[in-house]
Amino acid sequence: MQLTVGISEMKVSTDPKDTLITYSLGSCIGVALFDPGAGVGGLIHCMLPLSRLDPDKAKKNPQMFTDTGVPALIQTLLDRGGTRKRMIAKVAGAASPLNDNGMFKIGERNYVVLRKVLWKNEILIAAEDVGGTVARTMSLHISNGKTTIRSGGKESEL
Amino acid sequence: MSQREEILARVSTISALPTSATQMLALANNPDAQIEDVQRTVEYDPGLVTNLLRLANSAYFGTGGAINSVREAVVRLGFKRVFQIAMTSAVAPIAQKEIRGYDLPRNGLLRHSAATALAVEYLPKRLSMRVPDATYTAGLLHDLGKIVLGTYLEINSAPIVIKAYRESISFEIAEQMVLGTDHAEVGAALLEYWKLPQVVIDSVRWHHDPNKYPHEDKTVVDLVHLGEHVARICGTSSSTDGMNYSVCVESLDRLRVVPDVLELVASDVLGSLEEICSIFN
Repeated sequence: MQLTVGISEMKVSTDPKDTLITYSLGSCIGVALFDPGAGVGGLIHCMLPLSRLDPDKAKKNPQMFTDTGVPALIQTLLDRGGTRKRMIAKVAGAASPLNDNGMFKIGERNYVVLRKVLWKNEILIAAEDVGGTVARTMSLHISNGKTTIRSGGKESEL
Repeated sequence: MSQREEILARVSTISALPTSATQMLALANNPDAQIEDVQRTVEYDPGLVTNLLRLANSAYFGTGGAINSVREAVVRLGFKRVFQIAMTSAVAPIAQKEIRGYDLPRNGLLRHSAATALAVEYLPKRLSMRVPDATYTAGLLHDLGKIVLGTYLEINSAPIVIKAYRESISFEIAEQMVLGTDHAEVGAALLEYWKLPQVVIDSVRWHHDPNKYPHEDKTVVDLVHLGEHVARICGTSSSTDGMNYSVCVESLDRLRVVPDVLELVASDVLGSLEEICSIFN
C-alpha cells in the first residue's frame, strides 16, 4: 500500500507491502530511516529547522520542525523494535531559491540541524540528495529499504 | 504573429469566470451595492452557496459561531471576505486540474494558490501591517498563467527546464527566452480578459519582478512575491520549476522582513491550508 506523508508529518511501517512517499520537498527536509534487521522503516517531511520558533506549535506537531521531528521518528522506530546501530538514514530536500540572500536559508539550516540530530544519535547518513533549487519526491520501500528520488521527471535510487 | 502574440491571443479561448464571480466583481465596483444584492448573487450559484457556508465555518474565514445561511455569512463576514470566497470557489475547479506542462498533479496548483493567498494575508499580520484589500485575490490568482501554458497550450517544458537549471536562471526568464512570454504575463492577460481589478492584474503580471510594478505603492506585489516564496517553503512547488526563482531583495527591504517572520508565516499557512483545500476535495 502506498502511504503519503504530508508536510510536517511522518509515517512508520513494518508491512513489507508498504511504500511511504512524500511529495514536493523544496526547502523542507525528508528523512527515510530504515532498520533492515527489524524490518521497520519511517519517512518524515519536516518544514522548518528549529522548534524554538514556536514551542506551542512544536508541542502540537513535533514533525513540523527538524529538531523535534527527527528524534520523534527515531524514537518511533526504536519503539517498533529498531536499534540505532542498524538504522540507515537517507536524506533529500533542503533546496533554496536562486539568489538566496540569507533570508531564505531554510533548506540549508534544515540540513545542518538534521546532521546534528543524527550525529547525536550516532546515525550516519548513508546517502543524500540535497540542495540546489529543485523540488523532490522521496519514497521508501519497506520490503527492502530501497529509497528513490523523483525530480524533474526523472527517478533514481538513493 | 509572434509566438508570444499567439499565446496571449489564446487567453480568450479559455472558459469564462462563473457568472456569480463576474457579478461579484461588478458589485465590488458599485458603491451602492446592498447586502441583498450580494446575497442574491451568491444564491444564484448553488456551488458557491455550498462553498460559502463551508468556508464561512472554517477556522480561517469564520468568526467563531456557526454560520447557517448566506445572509448570515454576508452580514457576519462582510463583503471583502464573501468576495474572496467567491473568487476561491470560482477558480478552485480550474486550479484543481492536473497541469501536465508543469508536472502539477491534481490539486497541485490549488494547494499552491491557496497557500500563497494565505501567506499574503498572514505576512502583513506578522509585520503588524494592514492587509491591502486586493492582496488575497492577487495571491490566489497569481499562477493561473500556468493553466493556460500547461493545459490549453500543453507547452513542452523540457527546453525551459534545461535552460533554467543549466544556466541557473529564474524559471520565468527561461520561459521568456523559449516562449517569448512567461506564466506571469499570460496570467495577467487572462485576468484582464476576466476584468479583475487593475491592482490584481498588475501584481500578477510582476509577481516575479516587483521592481517593474508600474505604481509607486508596491505593497501588494511585494506581498504576492514573498507570499509565493513562503508557499514554496510549505511544500507546494511543482517538480518542474521547483524553487528555481529569484528573491527580490528590495521587496524584503520595502516590507522590512526579518528571517523569523517568513518561518512563522509558513507555520501559520500550514495550519490553515489543509482545511481550506479539503473543502474543495
